Amino acid sequence: MRELRAALWGVSAFSLGYLLPGTLRLPTLAYDPVARTLRFTAGVSGVAMRYYGDLLWACAAGLCAAALVWTSRRPTRPVAVLTGAALSLVALDVAFYLSRLLAGV
Amino acid sequence: MTVLFERSARALLLVHAVLGFTAVFAVTHHAVSALLAARGRPVQRQLQCFGWMAPASIVAQALFGLALYPVYRVRVRFADLERTAPAVVQLFDLKEHLSALALALVIAASVAGRALQADAPVAEARSVAALSWCGAALVWAAALIGLYVTARHPVGAP
Repeated sequence: MRELRAALWGVSAFSLGYLLPGTLRLPTLAYDPVARTLRFTAGVSGVAMRYYGDLLWACAAGLCAAALVWTSRRPTRPVAVLTGAALSLVALDVAFYLSRLLAGV
Repeated sequence: MTVLFERSARALLLVHAVLGFTAVFAVTHHAVSALLAARGRPVQRQLQCFGWMAPASIVAQALFGLALYPVYRVRVRFADLERTAPAVVQLFDLKEHLSALALALVIAASVAGRALQADAPVAEARSVAALSWCGAALVWAAALIGLYVTARHPVGAP
């Protein structure tokens, strides 16, 4: 089923696209709610927030991956393997953020 | 100094909460339907129905949450919680991340669930069920954390 494979690749890319910009401090859109300014920068500090930018990176990665698989004519991998990979990447993200919570408490 | 949407923060929070409950119920129903489909039950109508309700409610809820975020950041997090309850700040950060991942999982499960045929291979039905259950678990976790943080200090309150 093409929809399922595109969705699974989309989830995998979203998970990576969400985790990597924040952890590697890649440049992203940062919004400063006090100054009301939007900047594309890697150095986000103080009250400025990079959540919007990281979410945009993740959505772009997920949509691109899903679109590529949707249009691809290459032979596909078994659904069980794709599902395992997608959910493992989600679990990796959850474990990383949970570890940061536990380290901070 | 006024933060974006500060004056309508309470109304936005109420809508965010109502949409949150809608999302929790819709994704839970979708997860149950997907599980029944994986066990061979004819639940294509439910998957079609909750396949648009779940993503619509979670996307709408996310948009209201994103609108509220600057007010939370300035008036709740930096003005209060950073000083009085840093662990709650960490907990809210976790909620943000779980919500983002839930968004992707719920949309993926809904798209795949709507396309699932009655005679689809078991592996595909199981895959949809796994996506849907993981999405529902993250939505439940985010909702409970959101309720806890709101009980500590809601946006729009001094």
